[in-house]
Amino acid sequence: MTFDHISVIGFAGPGMDTDTTPLRDPTPDSTPERLIARIAESRDRDAYALLFTRFAPKLKAFVMGQGLSAQEAEDLAQDAMLNVWRKAHLFDPAKATAVTWIYSIARNLRIDAARKAKRVRDLPDDLWQGEGEKPADQEMIDHQSAQSISVLIGALPPDQQTVLKMSFYEDLSHGDIAKALSLPLGTVKSRLRLALARLKTGLSAPGGRA
Amino acid sequence: MTHSARVHPPEDLLWDYHRGRLSPGMRLTVRTHTDLCPQCRSELRLFDAIGGALLEDVEGVAMSDNALDLALARIERPEEPESSATVTHPGFLDGFDLPESLKAADIPGRYWVAPGVWMAPVRFDEDSRGTKTYLMFVKKGMVMPEHTHRGREITLMLKGTFNDQNGSYGRGDFVLCDETIQHSPAVSADEDCLCLVAQEGLILPKTWLGKLLQPFARI
Ligand SMILES: [Zn+2]
Repeated sequence: MTFDHISVIGFAGPGMDTDTTPLRDPTPDSTPERLIARIAESRDRDAYALLFTRFAPKLKAFVMGQGLSAQEAEDLAQDAMLNVWRKAHLFDPAKATAVTWIYSIARNLRIDAARKAKRVRDLPDDLWQGEGEKPADQEMIDHQSAQSISVLIGALPPDQQTVLKMSFYEDLSHGDIAKALSLPLGTVKSRLRLALARLKTGLSAPGGRA
Repeated sequence: MTHSARVHPPEDLLWDYHRGRLSPGMRLTVRTHTDLCPQCRSELRLFDAIGGALLEDVEGVAMSDNALDLALARIERPEEPESSATVTHPGFLDGFDLPESLKAADIPGRYWVAPGVWMAPVRFDEDSRGTKTYLMFVKKGMVMPEHTHRGREITLMLKGTFNDQNGSYGRGDFVLCDETIQHSPAVSADEDCLCLVAQEGLILPKTWLGKLLQPFARI
């Protein structure tokens, strides 16, 4: 089964970008996806500098929120971006947006660092690169844009947004969240379940109903 | 791959897998399941996509002044070769259709615990105390007397099927047992069974399983 509603649910082209963050003029050549492609194609250092300037501070902030010190976070951001440079040829924009791919690289690095694995490394958990098409992977979420998810998250009821954001921004288990919010564990789980279900529905619906 | 897993890891386990907080054995069972389960792979991709969207939304924290110079210098340095881990992959595993996760696992040897039953511990590079992880092979038609569990135990089916009071389990199925589950699993009479087991809590003596497993008295 092929997947042909990419254009419907996401990948709002650069021209349709409603992002209000003060990024560089999102001309087709400086979208993050394009920057990674330029690195892959021609080891483009300008592209790397742009990408670094845009994402390293975000990565640093993200993992500081999860409990890393400023120095650890800075190192992780550096290492993650170095991996982006080295693995740029593996990035497949049909499978993930650039920011999702960068997030997954940082996540894997963070996990590796926590394990302090010296000798044998686990297979990297590369959900986004390398692997040939596994036959049943026709799921829609391979192709959506980070932007449409962002919109869908913003449309979640506040209770659900809170548990979802705590999960990611603070790196908490369901049990931790229950404690932090003084909620029964079952309530946390059901809010997360509802949130994930809504995101999935929203992403698979033509037009990405938000 | 015609069979698709029907029994999946609970959501909190999948989340803890995503954030790298499972013990090595538990992590391997979840990883192996996701190698065999498009649905859970897709769930993990959703986690990454959410993480990406939230990363995009984050207000950055300034990097130090020389960060970009450092980054541009680092990309000029030669890449240190990936330390290709040497993994023991013994001959007795030939002929089994193992997922990637297990092809990469360090499995030095096996021992027989009863006629037709062997176990092959998985070795981890990091501290895996508290969890025992092994492949278990059981000849077709064996049955275990009714028993319960101490601590969490995961059985990830790789080949064959087993049945208990709660259902029938086949390749890819992620069967989580704990103190609350009492059952007497029986391996299908038609096919040998291979599974990956991770046990938390009590470590049972090697002979325990051999005593429990009995050839199934066919009715
Ligand atoms: Zn699954």
